[in-house]
Amino acid sequence: MPQLDTSTWSITILSMIITLFLVFQLKVSKYYFPEDPKPALVATPKPATPWEKKWTKIYFPLLLPL
Amino acid sequence: MNENLFSSFITPVMMGLPIVIVIVMFPSIMFPSPNRLINNRLISIQQWLVQLTSKQMLVIHNQKGQTWALMLMSLILFIGSTNLLGLLPHSFTPTTQLSLNLGMAIPLWAGTVITGFRYKTKASLAHFLPQGTPLPLIPMLIIIETISLFIQPMALAVRLTANITAGHLLIHLIGGATLALMNISAPTAMVTFMILILLTILEFAVALIQAYVFTLLVSLYLHDNT
Repeated sequence: MPQLDTSTWSITILSMIITLFLVFQLKVSKYYFPEDPKPALVATPKPATPWEKKWTKIYFPLLLPL
Repeated sequence: MNENLFSSFITPVMMGLPIVIVIVMFPSIMFPSPNRLINNRLISIQQWLVQLTSKQMLVIHNQKGQTWALMLMSLILFIGSTNLLGLLPHSFTPTTQLSLNLGMAIPLWAGTVITGFRYKTKASLAHFLPQGTPLPLIPMLIIIETISLFIQPMALAVRLTANITAGHLLIHLIGGATLALMNISAPTAMVTFMILILLTILEFAVALIQAYVFTLLVSLYLHDNT
């Protein structure tokens, strides 16, 4: 049975080790598995009402005429 | 007749140069590596298949076992592609060589066993003695379990070699029988040809199944030991 001829065993095993452990793993390591990007929770600010857009002196609590 | 039958299993040497190196490395050409953000269809399909297989295969492992993902995936790709390419006429199949299969099985099995010994010494030694054995049976059972442990890499290698070699031999024999029968009686040759077609379909399945079985068993040995 030609498979039992051990003279060729070293070169076969060497070429297998190069292929399996070097070439194939370099190729498969370049596959990228897409991460699932989840949207970050951004706190939506309340829309500013017209009178809140401008800060005026009147609203300083210490300056209120009381 | 014997010499002729086994001649396709001789390691190919062309004019003194061992071209078996080129033949073993050839299937890796079939898997181009992705270089761009959006790749072509071939790479995308292969990548999707690898993801599918890896999810299926790695779901039983814990964190430690999942570090073997790259190894298991390249193993199944190598064995599967080598077996499938061997079904082409006049091609040489590296996985019919016992040397190659032993060279794959022994290091991988030894890796799983040594991992088990390093990280879970007591648990991996406890595999030798199943629970609830009666006291007089213990020495014999330990011997049996040791033998069954050491036979695992041999069984892995010989299983793959024997299955692929037997399949190739059957195809050779039945193909030769069909050719010889064509001159004698055409209907018998047709029947034999049908058998050949069915056998070829079986061989396609066997090519993929053997890759799967090899990788699955390595993964099981890993699971026991992580």
